[in-house]
Order: sequence, then structure tokens, then C-alpha cells
Amino acid sequence: MIKLEHISKWVNQGNNRIFLLKDINLGIEDGEFVSIMGPSGSGKSTLLNVIGMLDTADEGSYQFYEQPVHTMKEKQRSQLYKQHIGFVFQAYHLIDELTVYENIETPLLYQDTKSSERKALVADMLDRFNIVGKKDLFPAQLSGGQQQLVGIARALIAKPKLILADEPTGNLNSKQGEEIMDIFTQLNKEDGVTIIQVTHSEKNAAYSNRIIHLLDGRIEHNR
Amino acid sequence: MKQLNNIDMLTNHWKIAYRSLVKNKFFTTLNIVGLAAGLTCFLLIMLYVTNELRYDRYHENADRIYRINVDIVMGGTELNLAVASDPMGELLKKDYPEIEEYTRIYNSSGAKMIKKGSAFLNEPKVAHVDSTYFDVFSAKAVAGDLKHALDEPNTVVLSRSMAEKYFGTTDVIGKNLETNENGSTLYKITGVMEDVPKQSHYRPDFLFAMENCGYQFGQILSHNFQTYLLLKTGANPASLEAKFPGYIMRHVLPVAQQEMQIKSIEEFEQSGNKLQYSLTALTDIHLHSNRFPELAVNGNIQYVYIFSAVALFILLIACINFMNLATARSANRAREVGIRKVLGSGKGALVKQFLTESTLLAYVSIGIALLCAVLLLPLFNELSGKQFVIRDLFTPGSVSIYLLLPLLVGLLAGTYPAFFLSAFQPLQVLKSKFSTGSSKAGLRSTLVVVQFVTSIILIVGTIIIYRQLNYIQTRNIGFNKEQVLVINNTYTLDTQKEGFRNEIMKLSGVTGSTYSGFIPVAESARTDRTFSTQATMTSSSGLNMQIWGIDENYIPLLGMEMKYGRNFSKEFGTDSSAIIINETTAALMGLDNPVGKKLYAGNNGGTTEPYTIIGVVKNFHFESMKQQIGPVAFWLKPADWSIAFKVNTSQIKALLSQIEGVWNKMAPGMPFEYSFLDESFSRMYEAEQRVGQLALSFAILTILIACLGLFGLAAFMAEQRNKEIGVRKVLGATVQQIVSLLTRDFLKLVGIAALIAFPLAWYAMNKWLENFAFKTSLGWWVFLLAGCIAALIALLTVGGQAIKAAITNPIKSLRSE
Repeated sequence: MIKLEHISKWVNQGNNRIFLLKDINLGIEDGEFVSIMGPSGSGKSTLLNVIGMLDTADEGSYQFYEQPVHTMKEKQRSQLYKQHIGFVFQAYHLIDELTVYENIETPLLYQDTKSSERKALVADMLDRFNIVGKKDLFPAQLSGGQQQLVGIARALIAKPKLILADEPTGNLNSKQGEEIMDIFTQLNKEDGVTIIQVTHSEKNAAYSNRIIHLLDGRIEHNR
Repeated sequence: MKQLNNIDMLTNHWKIAYRSLVKNKFFTTLNIVGLAAGLTCFLLIMLYVTNELRYDRYHENADRIYRINVDIVMGGTELNLAVASDPMGELLKKDYPEIEEYTRIYNSSGAKMIKKGSAFLNEPKVAHVDSTYFDVFSAKAVAGDLKHALDEPNTVVLSRSMAEKYFGTTDVIGKNLETNENGSTLYKITGVMEDVPKQSHYRPDFLFAMENCGYQFGQILSHNFQTYLLLKTGANPASLEAKFPGYIMRHVLPVAQQEMQIKSIEEFEQSGNKLQYSLTALTDIHLHSNRFPELAVNGNIQYVYIFSAVALFILLIACINFMNLATARSANRAREVGIRKVLGSGKGALVKQFLTESTLLAYVSIGIALLCAVLLLPLFNELSGKQFVIRDLFTPGSVSIYLLLPLLVGLLAGTYPAFFLSAFQPLQVLKSKFSTGSSKAGLRSTLVVVQFVTSIILIVGTIIIYRQLNYIQTRNIGFNKEQVLVINNTYTLDTQKEGFRNEIMKLSGVTGSTYSGFIPVAESARTDRTFSTQATMTSSSGLNMQIWGIDENYIPLLGMEMKYGRNFSKEFGTDSSAIIINETTAALMGLDNPVGKKLYAGNNGGTTEPYTIIGVVKNFHFESMKQQIGPVAFWLKPADWSIAFKVNTSQIKALLSQIEGVWNKMAPGMPFEYSFLDESFSRMYEAEQRVGQLALSFAILTILIACLGLFGLAAFMAEQRNKEIGVRKVLGATVQQIVSLLTRDFLKLVGIAALIAFPLAWYAMNKWLENFAFKTSLGWWVFLLAGCIAALIALLTVGGQAIKAAITNPIKSLRSE
């Protein structure tokens, strides 16, 4: 599914080149559940963003389903990720002005899904996460855990092959965090969705079947 | 399917737009209030401007009708007349085949008394016209055949409202109308026309047959008739104008040779004189013609330009507000943009979303603006001197503008924020460390500067207009305009004039009186005549000047001062051949003290009569201060169609009713009309006062809108720098230091704006003051004052926000991170 070869990313500070990512080589297959770990500033989020096509590397090649992402224009990349990738954020990033229902529906609007189909898909999703009763509430009226549920529901609505989660439980208490992790596991096992998460927590990483350790922009462990 | 989704997307856009607007009530209100205020002003000014531009267009032949003008320079005075001689129309029509028809209007006698029941009413909007009047001009007939209505003498056409006023019905064909000409004259009513549309340069109520005007026809050198030519289709007015010198050679010169000893046009022109005819298109008269005598007070194209510019500027300022507030708020919206992009939104969809939002705002604003315009209409009518009704705001044309304008404004004001916001990179904004506090501050500052440049120009303009008005009011005008009561139509007293004067003089509070129709304000009667410094009239000795008939009391009653010589006096039996001139006349004669010298009044036929100069009166203003003081002379001849009394105005109501009582006894049935000299004087500057009031309103409005924007920006800035302020306070900054930190930047912008505005304002106001022959100076303090006002207002607007931010407990702002 994903093949990164010699991926490097840097910033220039005066005459010094500071590497955010250095010579990353990584392959991820369909159906994997991968955790990326490492201390602050090790390049976890940067790597996730490169994989998510929100950011580009300065060097190296990136193949997504055999398509060369590193040569694409922004528009093509956007086209590609909106089809295949769902994002989950630490800060949820729901649109405050939209209700739960409308938040979940939004990705479908950008994919030209038919109205009747949209209704069915959103209803399924609400059902699946047990938030039917909250569909007309606004994000501000929900708890953190509920907001993240909505965030996940929104990430899943377009049936992505890959979910990218940047510290999805970082703002949640441990019980809420466990719930989210259970959902990820279920998605991975039952629906075959590939999941890549960035996390600080060994406990969360234990849910995954592969852990990548980053240090100073390099892969330290890959097991 | 695509179509369906577009609609869904649009609903989604509207929904977000609506909720986002409701959520940010503070900014939304600022935006809507600013935009609505700007639009209200824009709508009202457009109403005025389109009204001004549409004068006289309703005539079927509007594009083929031209008025004849004449410019005369004789003996040092220049006359720009809107009238021609009585034979000119006919002669031109005979000579030049491109002229299809001509018609003349004669109303030199001014008003007429018309009998209703047993009493006479004064009707000012009357004229004698040629029977071809309705062949040239268009009018809707209510009754009668207008085209042939004035073919016979003693016929009259009147307007619908006059028919209803005098007869209570429009079914009046064949009835008689009585006027007081020669005691009593009867006119047969042969036509009734609809009231002349408001957008006409001339709106007569009564049109009488030309034969009854009492003019001695055939005077090719006297210009007294408004003459309009109807050209044939396709005829070129410029080439007709080019033929006018030929007319002068053929028809005018032979008469001038005989009466004025003018040998040739060349000699006439060599001595500095001029006679030139020209044409003004009918549709240009209202805005472009400023001649004498105009049939009504015309508009001024300058003001149309100025007001259009002001309207556009106010709209621009309101749009700038919108842009400023929208981009300032971008920090809040940036996150949404980031999320949407991650969710797969293209840039286009986001641009559309933000444009939807601004357009929605614009539509709400125009709704409010229309409501305000309707409510403000009476006030605006007072300011503009127009009589708009609510229906004028809702013509089919304007309604389509109301539907389109918000779209345009929404796009104009929304495009920049839309592209600015939609260009955010999701990664940056989602990292949530995004700050727009300074990134686009440059553009916002520029926009604030533009707003304040406009405000300062308007403040300077307002101050200078009011300064000029004050200058006019307080300038020594050469006579005392206070406590002078003028009573008109005294000729109706007939033989009882002296009796009337004596009766009134007996009343307490009346201290003086003078019979004269010539009052030194622009609306009064005028007569000019050519005098000569030698017994024979030559083109170099000719001196065209005002000659006013007065009595001995005139000069003392009006408080005029003699520079040399003496006033007329009953003690000198010879004063009937004496003349008093003003300083300008003396200067034109090239003499400092001409007392004892003679002036010769020119007669038709080339003879002259001698008059001895017995005094020189100090110059006094008898026309508007837009004009230099021209030559004027007094002689002791009756001009007793009005009388002026010096009165004590403390008990003026009681006194007036006493005077009216005497009037009704001595002139039964005749209307009692009076005016106060100081009020008549002020009326000369009505247009300027109106412009002053408008400028003041616009200045206030512009500042208000600009301040709304500034207020929003300051509030936002304080919010943005919340954390910085907190840190600074923890580090020991005082409230004053914080306030000055937050206000300094804005004041700097006002300073820059002032530097740009001053030269522009100076140039514009210099141009405006050029309209006046007598004018105030453009003092530097005016600019300083305007700059200070702007700075003070900015300071007050921003200061509140700054203080609020500065006194907040820093713990609060720091904890929120």
C-alpha cells in the first residue's frame, strides 16, 4: 500500500540543514495497524503528514498503491487522499458551526455523493457509534470523548482504506482513550482498514501489530 | 447528480454562513451596520444623482431641442444670457433649413395676479409663449387641443392642479381667466395640461398667448426671450452654431450701425467688445447652464460628480470594513479551512463558501439599508431640496439594482478574504499555533489608511464650506440687511402708495421707508442700460451697467455709505437729472472722484440724455459673492413695485398683522407678500448651505463607518495579543504602557492618512473656493484641526478596547493556553 524510499525532509537554519526526517525507508501493507512512537521532536507527526499527503518530503520517493505521490501536483494529491485516507486529530478539529450530523456528512459533499446515499451512510455511522441521539448537537455541546467519536465517524464516512491518527487519545481520559483504541482495533480487524497512529503511550501502542520508533528523524526500531 | 450536489453544497454553504454569522454576533453586527450605513448613503445619493441626470428627457424631441444663448461684452461688463432677441427665432428659421421650428418664452414681468372668486392670487409660474410651444415641447393634454390652443390672442393653457385650484375641476375649456394686467384682462381657457414633470428645467403653471405680452416687438438688440430651436432629425447643432456670425452680419450689424455708431464687427471687437450666440442642448440646461435669466434654479454638474464620488467612496469604505474584519477574523476561520481541506475540499469550494457568506451579509445589509433609506427620505429631501417619495426608491430599474448590488458588493468585499482564507495550508493552521496577528497587518493597515484619508478629506471639506458660509454671513456687505421688511406688489396700491407709506410709518416700531423695486439681493428686480462717458455713444465710450430707480431714503435706510459727494435730496430741485454711482463704476470710468462729471444714458435710436454724477456710494454686494461687484448706478426715478421698511423686529408678529390690516384696506383682494432682507440674503447661499449640510452628514457617516471598522479591528487586535498583554503585565507593564502599545499603531495610521489627505483636500477645496469672487482663506489650522479630529476619534474608538484589554487580570489570558 505505502512504500517510502529514502524520504528526507529538512529546514535550513542559516548555514545548517536541520533534518526533520532523514532517509526513511518504510513499507506498510494493507490491513496493518502501525504505531509511530518517539520523543517530542523526533519527527512522528511530520512522517504522518507526509504519508497523509498534507506535507511533502524534500527528497525520496513515495508510492501509494504504486502511484508516485512525490511527483504529483497538489490537486492530484488532494484527489488521491480524499478518496483513500481519513484523518483523526488529537484536537478533534470538528467544524464548530456544523452539527454532529453535518460534520460527518461533509466529506461526502466533497466527493459528490448522492443525497439519498449520504443520508444512509451518515445514519449507519451514527448508529454504529451510538450517537444517533446527538446528531443535532454542536461540537461545543459534546464531551471530548464524544467529539473524538464524531471525528472518527467523519474519518470513516467515505470508506477510506487508511486511517491516519495523530495522538487520537491525547486529549482524553484513560477510559475514553480505551474506547477509541477498541474502535480502532475493531475497524482494523473487522473492516480491514489500515491504521497508522502517532502515540506517546505504550498502552495504546500495544493495540497495534507494528511499532515504529523514531529518533531525530530516523527510524530507530521497526518491529 | 452533479446538479443535485451543487445544490446541497450551496445549502451547506448558506447554513455555515448563517451559523457562523450568528455565532460571531459582535463582528456580524459591526459588519452589517457598517455595510448598511454605506449602502443607505449610496442608495440615497444614487437616487439624487439619477434624478439630476434625467432632466427634460421626457420630451419626445429632447435630443433635437436647443436653447439660444448670447454672450455680450460691452463697456467692460460681461453678460452671459440665456435669452435671445424677439425676431431671432423667426429669422434663423427663415435662413437655415435645418431648423424645423422655434418657440419663445417671455416672462420678464415675473408674476401675475389671477382672480379667484373676488380676490387676486399671485401666481409666479406664468409666461407668454408662442403658439408653437407644444410643437417643440411635449406635454400631456388633459383637455383641449394643445397644439392649436394658443393660436389666438387672449388664450391660456393651464396645468391640471391650477385648473383644480381655480375652478375645482379640469372641465374648464371655454371658461375665462381674469388677470390684473391693465386693470383687468380676460383670457379664454383653451387647454389644460398635466402638471409639468418635476424633472424639467421649467415648470410653468400658466401659458398665455404671446400676443398679450405687451412687448414692443422688433428689437433685435434687446435680449429678452428664451428661444428654443427644434432641429430637423440629423441636423448638427455645432455646424448651426458656426453659422451664427453670418446672422450677426446680416441682421444685427445694420441695426447696431445705426443705433450705436458701430462701423464694423472688427472695430467692435477691437475695442474689447463681443457678441456671440451659442446653443445649449435642452437636456444639458439643468446641470450645465449657469446663465441669466434661468427659468428656475438649476442643478450643478459639479455636485453630481462630487456626490457620485462620495457615494462610491462611502461604499468602498464599507466594503473595506468588511474585508478588514473578515481577514482579521481569519484566525478563527483558519482552522475550519484546514479541516475542510483535509476532508477533501478544493480551494474553489472554499472560495465559494466565503463568497456566499459575504453575499448573504450584503443582502441582509441592503434590506436594512432600504428600510433606513425609506425612513430617512424626509430628512434627505430636506437636505437635497428634492421631493422624493417612497415609490421613487422602488422603480423597476432600482429594484433590479437592489438584487444585483449586494451580489457585487458581496463579491467585491468577499473576494479578498475568500482567496486569502482559502489559500491556508491545512498543516499550518491545524498545528493550532496559527497567528494572523501580524501576517496580513500590512494590507489591513493600508485599508485603514484609505478610510481615514477619505474621512479627513471630508472633515476638511466640511470645515471649509462652513468657514466660507460664515465668511459670507459676517463680511461687510456694504449695507445693513437686518430689520428690513420688504413688501412686494405695491404697484397694486395704485394711487394710494403714499397713503400706504404714511399709514405704516405711523405704526410704532417702524422707523423708515423707501420705495424701490431694486433690492440688493439676487432675487430682486434688475435693469441694465448702456451709458456713455461722452455725449455721443461709441463702442469705446459705452458702459453697460445696472441702473436702479430709488428715492432719497434708500441709501440711509439700507445703511449704505457715501465715499464722495452726497445722497439725493429734496432740497435740490435738479436731482431728477442727477446720478449716484458705485466705486466699480468710478473705477471703470478711470476716475477716483468723478463727482461733477457727466454720464449719458443711451436711448434706442442712438440719442443720449445727460446725467450729473453727484456722489459715489461705497461698493455693496448686490449679487452672490460668487460674482465680483459690478457697476451700478442710482437715479431718482419711481420704481415703486415694492417698499422697504426699517422695523423693530422684537414685536414683529403683531406689527406684521397691523401692516396686513392696512394693506387689505388699501389694496382689497390683492395678496399681501413680504420678505425680510436678511432672509432673502441667506437664500442666495441656499445651495452652499445645502452642500455644507450634505458634506457634514457624509463626513459624519464616513467617520462612523470607518470607526466601526476600526473598533472591530481594535477588538480583534486586543484579542489576538491577549497572551502578549498578559505576559507583559506579569513582567510589570502598567496599564498606560499597554494602552499606548495598542493605540500607537492606529494613531500612526491616522498620521499617514493625514499626510496623504491634506494635499488632496487642499486641491479640492481650492477648486471649490474658486467659485467665489469673495472667499475665505485655506488656513493651515483647518488641516491641523481635521487631523486632530480624526486622531481623537480614532483614539476614542481604539482606546476603549485597549483599556479593556489592559486592565484584564493576566492570569485569565495566560491560563487559557
